[in-house]
Amino acid sequence: MTENNYPKAILQSLEDYNIDIRDFLPGHGGGAKLLLDFNKIKGVEQVDGIILKGREIKNGIVADIVIKEGTKIDDSVHLCFGVNKETGIQEIFPRIIAEDNTDVKVQAHCSFPNANGLVHKMFGHFYIGKNCNFTYSETHYHGENSGAFVAPVAYMYVGENSVFENNFTLTRGTPGTVKILIDIYAMKNSTIRSTIKAYGKSKKDSIRIRDAVYLEGENARSLIKMKAAARDGGEVLMYGITEGNAPHCNGHVECSEIVLGKGSICRARPFIRATDPTSSVSHEASLGRFPQKWLDEIMAKGLTEEEATEILIQAMLREE
Amino acid sequence: MLLELKNVTIPTLDQRCVIVNNISFGVKEGSIHAIIGPNGSGKSTLAYTIMGLDSYKISNGKIYFEGKDITNLSLTERAKLGITLAWQEPARIEGLTVKKYISLGIKDGGNVKERVIEALNTVNLEPELYLNRNIDESLSGGERKRIELAATIAMRPRLIILDEPDSGLDMIVIEDFLNIFEKIKNLNMTILLITHREDIGMVADYGTLLWRGDALMTDEFPRVMVKYCAKAGLKEFCKRALFKNGGKCFDDDYIDRIFKEEGIS
Repeated sequence: MTENNYPKAILQSLEDYNIDIRDFLPGHGGGAKLLLDFNKIKGVEQVDGIILKGREIKNGIVADIVIKEGTKIDDSVHLCFGVNKETGIQEIFPRIIAEDNTDVKVQAHCSFPNANGLVHKMFGHFYIGKNCNFTYSETHYHGENSGAFVAPVAYMYVGENSVFENNFTLTRGTPGTVKILIDIYAMKNSTIRSTIKAYGKSKKDSIRIRDAVYLEGENARSLIKMKAAARDGGEVLMYGITEGNAPHCNGHVECSEIVLGKGSICRARPFIRATDPTSSVSHEASLGRFPQKWLDEIMAKGLTEEEATEILIQAMLREE
Repeated sequence: MLLELKNVTIPTLDQRCVIVNNISFGVKEGSIHAIIGPNGSGKSTLAYTIMGLDSYKISNGKIYFEGKDITNLSLTERAKLGITLAWQEPARIEGLTVKKYISLGIKDGGNVKERVIEALNTVNLEPELYLNRNIDESLSGGERKRIELAATIAMRPRLIILDEPDSGLDMIVIEDFLNIFEKIKNLNMTILLITHREDIGMVADYGTLLWRGDALMTDEFPRVMVKYCAKAGLKEFCKRALFKNGGKCFDDDYIDRIFKEEGIS
């Protein structure tokens, strides 16, 4: 498949996230791929050790991805859920199973460049086996018009001794109305790192993200990092939840949000709960503006306060 | 004069006390001009005021840059005229790369990448090791200060204010910094050097002694240094420490005379 067979606008937004468009096109580069244009599957590519199947249903698709036991692959699995239309409903049901002893990265991109009332829903189930190293990164672009209504829900089970990294990024374009629910269940000796970044730029944007980690296994570890900015009437609400329900587990929630301009609202609600006396769970949250000294240092290079603030927002949302 | 201060008084933010009191001095173009004085004498306050930081406003006097009154110009406007400042403790900002940070001030249409690399080379940092690093906690104090210097150099400003560039650095690094100051001077940039150390100040052509908010003297730097030692009562130190270009700056008689003027035998 070439870029000519697929709506270019869908893939173009990948460049803003420094992701190579070609990685998503079947026939180019390594790695398994699934390419969607609205509710039609436009391309599927499998590699050894990974079963990737898509099935079209009413208003969407079911995507099954199985990473076979012992598979270790450097090239990411690429999933592109694109919609070039202004309106419509797209429902995605991804079911991802990483069998024991696997090492895989999945890069998903949800791109709706012309969204104007479009609805995108996802109901994801992830099962990560024992001794796995699994990274799931999802970037979003909802165009520059009025954004989309986006409501993904994901349940993720992370097995013993596994490391799971979850990255969600919505920092380009106009998000619209976004409601995200993520529940991650961490088993014995597992490590969870979940990083959420969102940027609401106008009154059109209302972003609510709930990222929860349940430390269910002994010695499980987690770090939730939530970073957001709201400006010119945008609204961002972030719930970072961690429960310590097993001996010697340890979790931390960190929320940093910047609010700019009249009518903008940032809210952070870290929620922590410990039911085991040997567990340790903590949180920190900061909301408001950047330290004046940071702004001064950048303004002394000849930038206005607004330009300096934008530089700092981009830096905060880029930070790994 | 590139920079001139006339009867400048800087109060505290609440206007209750005076930090810098009615001072006047000028900085010659192409020179290194040191502001020297003990802790609390108002040196950094003066630096921030010249740069135009919002929290540092003068209550009296005027500041001129290339003959233009800049007293009421903002920080950004002053930076656009060619004034910049390298902070004593530059901030660590996660997610901002060295390359991006240094390139922020390059606004004259020059080749950004070349200029960033050139600036890193000037401060003796290997570009390939630093370009993609973040200016965060992973950098040492010395590395962060060099990157701050590189960012100011890349701007090609007319005047760089260096606020205590020596603070927190070990002796070997300081020697290297002195060489960097000479390089900056050779790039036709003027340096206003804020320091309380005579070994750093000796790189300067001229100096102004700030003492409890008053500018006691502006002259060639070694002469200012003798006065500083006299005010502090450090006669023996003065006789032992004031060397420049491998030679002693003054004979002991001169130093004795200055100390006598201060009432110290």
